[in-house]
Amino acid sequence: MFDTEILLQDTQEILGAVPVTLGMALTIFVLSTIVGSIFALVEYRRVPVLRELIMAYKIVFKGVPMVIVIFLAYFGLPPAFQFLLSLLGINFNAHETPNWVILVIAVTGCIAAFQSEIIKGALNAFDTGQSDAAHSLGYTNGQLFRRILFPQVVLTAIPDLTTSMMVIMKALSLGFAIEVVDIFAQSQLTAALNYYYLEAFVIAVVIYMVIAYIVTQIADRLEQALRVRT
Amino acid sequence: MDVSAMIPELFSALPLTLAITFTAMFVGFCLALVATTLRVRRIPVVSHLTDLYVSYARSVPVVLQLFVAFYGLPLLVALLGAEDFFSPTIAAMVGLSFYHGGYLSEVMRPAYLAVDRGQHDAADSLGYTFRQKIARIVGPQAVHFALPGYGNSIIYLIHNVALVMYIGAADVMATAHLIMERDYNQYQFETYLVLAVIYALMCLIAWFIVHFFELRSPMQAPEATTTAQIKNAAIASV
Repeated sequence: MFDTEILLQDTQEILGAVPVTLGMALTIFVLSTIVGSIFALVEYRRVPVLRELIMAYKIVFKGVPMVIVIFLAYFGLPPAFQFLLSLLGINFNAHETPNWVILVIAVTGCIAAFQSEIIKGALNAFDTGQSDAAHSLGYTNGQLFRRILFPQVVLTAIPDLTTSMMVIMKALSLGFAIEVVDIFAQSQLTAALNYYYLEAFVIAVVIYMVIAYIVTQIADRLEQALRVRT
Repeated sequence: MDVSAMIPELFSALPLTLAITFTAMFVGFCLALVATTLRVRRIPVVSHLTDLYVSYARSVPVVLQLFVAFYGLPLLVALLGAEDFFSPTIAAMVGLSFYHGGYLSEVMRPAYLAVDRGQHDAADSLGYTFRQKIARIVGPQAVHFALPGYGNSIIYLIHNVALVMYIGAADVMATAHLIMERDYNQYQFETYLVLAVIYALMCLIAWFIVHFFELRSPMQAPEATTTAQIKNAAIASV
């Protein structure tokens, strides 16, 4: 039966995993946005061969469930690292790669495919007349990017980027399969120690929903603030 | 590793995976219809509760939702005084139905709102009841807007069915784990590659079916402005 006395104690333990989860989520967010932006730029500029490669990459990473990608990375990445490093003549035991690094790489790989869609959408929403105007005023490409393109594209992409931040938070919950402890895994560990399963999971649910609420609020504020300035 | 022996064994678990998928698809669709109606009509307390449900389905990881269903539903059934009939399979069906319903509701609502405001007003001014308005005017147009998002949500449902293994349902993933353990965990990478191909094929088939209906849809392709409003469902869901 549902026991309320255990809630406070469990909450403290599960809250301990929140900073780690947020840290990993932010790392993945930054990395996947960088990779996704590169992909989006390649598609926007229509670079010949790379474009088809990225298409294939996206199809693969959208068709395969993230659990399977994580497991594939878990079993496939260390030998691959080992092989690459041995080619370079470095003797390093890649099988000691910490699991969270593998999780970060796997989730980044998956999310990058979606981030590139978001950024491509934002780039397509950008009015090309503005870049013509900027060129006619003698802006260099760098100036065009920094002063005109970037501020508008970021603003258009904020709502979708918020969603992808939440998706990353949720994707980290799959890390428990390869022994990475995030909010969900911590709730499972706590429950396994005192057998109050439902209580621990309900606490985790509440924590996830509160984080989602806070992240959405921050994004809304940010969007409004940026909109006023521009 | 003997792939030709492994594939029939994996396929023997496919009916259960498909049963969970189709149940979640059907129940989730009904749940989403109810949730969308309640959210669109803005009934004081009920609408807020539905909002809460949708944000639960969307902001909590699916694994966690499955575990909540697995541990929470027997409690609920016991409170109602019924026999405990829960198996992991039923818990998986219930958990995924709730997830899919909430997710799909967030596809349906923007599609409903994307239908031109004038159409709603015209139907109202002609004295259509809410049900008639949905069935004859707004519904057929909203279906067209919702189809791409619906396709995505089906694909993510198929992805998430891979997670039911963790609450002990004997689906394709669980069978693959059995096979791996029988081989003393020698061929884990290869087995997961085979799994990846199976899931990718399932997603591809689902995508083709939805795409077929998209092409057959009688309306012209929607304007760029409306697609911008309803492209929300493009991002993955775990």
